[in-house]
Amino acid sequence: MDILSSLANGFAVAVQPVNLLVAFIGCFVGTVIGALPGVGPVNGIAILIPLAFSLDLSPVSALILLTSVYYGSMFGGRIASILLNIPGDASSVVTCIDGFPMAKQGRAADALAISALSSFAGGTLATLGLTVLAPTLAMAAIHFGPREYFALYVMAIVIVGGIASGNPAKTLIAGLIGLAIGTVGIDPATGIPRFTFGAYELYEGIDFVIVAIGLFAISEFLFYIEQRRTGPVEQIPVGRRTAALSRLTYPATSLRSGLLGFVVGVLPGSGATLASFLGYALEKRVVDKKGTFGKGDPRGVAAPEAADNAAAGGALVPMLTLGVPGSGTTAIMLGMLVTLNVQPGPLLFEQQPDIVWGLVAALYLSNVILLILNIPLVGIFAKLLSVPPHYLMPGVVTVSFLGVYSVNQNSFDLLLMVGFGVFGYLLRKLSIPLVPVILGIILGTPMEQSLRRALAASGGDLWTLVESPLALCLHAITGCVVLVAILREGRRRAEQAAAARST
Amino acid sequence: MSDRILGVLLALFAGWYSWEARSYTIDFGDPMGPALFPEALAVPIGLLGLYLALRPDPDPDWSTGRYLLSQIFTIVVLIVYALMLQPAGFVLATIVMVACLTAMLGARPEKALAGGVATSLGFFALFDWILGISLPPGFFFGG
Repeated sequence: MDILSSLANGFAVAVQPVNLLVAFIGCFVGTVIGALPGVGPVNGIAILIPLAFSLDLSPVSALILLTSVYYGSMFGGRIASILLNIPGDASSVVTCIDGFPMAKQGRAADALAISALSSFAGGTLATLGLTVLAPTLAMAAIHFGPREYFALYVMAIVIVGGIASGNPAKTLIAGLIGLAIGTVGIDPATGIPRFTFGAYELYEGIDFVIVAIGLFAISEFLFYIEQRRTGPVEQIPVGRRTAALSRLTYPATSLRSGLLGFVVGVLPGSGATLASFLGYALEKRVVDKKGTFGKGDPRGVAAPEAADNAAAGGALVPMLTLGVPGSGTTAIMLGMLVTLNVQPGPLLFEQQPDIVWGLVAALYLSNVILLILNIPLVGIFAKLLSVPPHYLMPGVVTVSFLGVYSVNQNSFDLLLMVGFGVFGYLLRKLSIPLVPVILGIILGTPMEQSLRRALAASGGDLWTLVESPLALCLHAITGCVVLVAILREGRRRAEQAAAARST
Repeated sequence: MSDRILGVLLALFAGWYSWEARSYTIDFGDPMGPALFPEALAVPIGLLGLYLALRPDPDPDWSTGRYLLSQIFTIVVLIVYALMLQPAGFVLATIVMVACLTAMLGARPEKALAGGVATSLGFFALFDWILGISLPPGFFFGG
C-alpha cells in the first residue's frame, strides 16, 4: 500500500545516523529543558531553533530535532510536576493532581514510570493516527483556495490563542498585536517597506525566533525574579519503583485518553493542555468508583499523560497538511519550516515526501528513545533539578542570547529580544496570553496575502470571502466560538459581581 | 487601573498605526494595496482597547521594592550585554553578565564569579568548538 511504502522510506530517512543522533539529543535536551519549572516545550523549541539553523541541518533533521525536543520537554515537565508539585508547563498541571500525592506516598518512581509509559502509548497512538489520517487530509486540502485559507487563518488565530480560557477581549488583542507586528517589513506583494522607519535591519520583518525567545524565555527570567519571594521549594527523594513495570501500564486508560487526546490535538485551537484536562476528566468519570482520583490514583497520572502526548502528535496533522498550526508549539514549528523554505500543505506530501514521512518515522523513534532514556535515567534528571536556580537561570539566559545571535550575528537582534522580553513580561502581568501574539506574527503574512489574493481575484469585492461554502463554514465556527467565549465571560463577571455583593 | 491605561495606550496605538499605514499607497499591484491590512487591523485594536479601558479586569500584583529593582537591574545588564557582546567578545561579556545575574539572585560574590566563568567557558566550548558556531572573540583575542 502506498502509505506503508512511504512510511518505510520515512524510516530509512529517520534511521540515518545524523537523524538518530539529533533525535537522541533532542529528547535529552528537551527533557532537561522541560524539567526546569516554568520552562515548557515552547521555550525549549524556541531556544533550539537557531541552533538548527546554525548547524545547517536539513529540514528533516531540523524537524526531527524540534519534535523530539517537544516530546522530551513534555516528559521533563512531568518530572517537576510529580516531584515538586510545580508544573513544568501548562500541560503538566493536571499531572500534579495525582502525581504529587503519589510522590508523597513514596511512589515517585512509580509515577514517573507511569508517565513515561502512558506518554509512549499516547504518542504512538497519535503517530499511527497521523500516518493514516494525514494523506487523506492532504487530499482534501486541495479544495482550499485563498478564501478558505484566510478563513482558516482567522480561525486559527482566534481559537488557538486560547479564547477558550480567560478574557476573550485580551486573547483577541494579543492576536491582533501579533498580526500588527507581522506587518513590519517589506510588503511581499508590492515591495514597499512598512513600519521600518529607515532601520534596514527591519526590512525582512521581525524574525519570529527573536520574538519567541524574548517573549517566552527572557520574560520567564523576569518572572522568576519576582517569584523568589515565595521561598525555596521542598524536594522529594526519588526511590525505587514499588511495582513491576508491566503492572504500571494501564492499557485501557491509556487507550481511551490517547484517542481523546489525538482528536483534541487535531482540532486547531486545542492542544496538549486542553487534552490533558479532558483526558483526566473523562477517566475520572469512567473509572473513579471509589473517589481515589486526586489522592494518588495511578490512573490519574496515566490519563493526562496519554492524552497530552497524543494531542502533541495530533497537532502536527493540521500543521503538515494545511499549514495551519494546531497549537502554540506547532505554530513555532511552522514558523521554522517556512523559514527553511518548506511550505506545508498538500503539496508537501507530493513534492517532499521524505520530509513528511521522515518526520512521522522520527516520531515513532522519539517515542521509543524517550522510553528507553527516561525510565532508567529518571534519577539523574531529578538530580538536575537540584542545581540551584541562581546558576541555572542565567545559563538559560546565556543560551537565549546565543541562540538569537547565531541567526544574524548582530546586536540589534539582541536588543530587540530584550525588548520583547520586557514586553512579554508586561503582557503576562496583564493576563494577555502570549501564544496568540506569536501566532499572529507567524500567520500574519500568509493571512494577508491570501486576503489580498482573494480580493484580487474578485476585483475588490469583499463578499467573495463568504461566498465559498467551506470558507463560510469556517467563519461561522470562528464566530460561534467567539460568541460562546463572550457569553461565558459575561456570565463569569456576573457571578463575580454577585459573589462580591453577597460577602 | 492597569487595564484602563493599557486600553488607552492600545487605542492611541491603533490611531497611530492606522495613520502611518495611510501613507502606504501604491499605483500598481492588487486592488487593495499594502495599506488595507494595517488599517483593517487598527479598527478592532482600537475598539478592544476602548473596551478594556471601560471594563477593566482587576489589577495584577505589580512588582515592588527590591524585586522591581532586581528586574530593572537585570534589564540593564542584558542591554549592556547585548551592546558589549561584539566589542568585548563572548567570553568576557558572558562572564560579567552571568556573574552579575547570579550575584543578584543571591549567590556570594566569589561563587557568582565562578559560576560566570564556568557558564561562559562551558558554552563557549560547546558552541564554538563542538558545534562550530563562531562567537565574537572581542578585542581581547584580537577580534
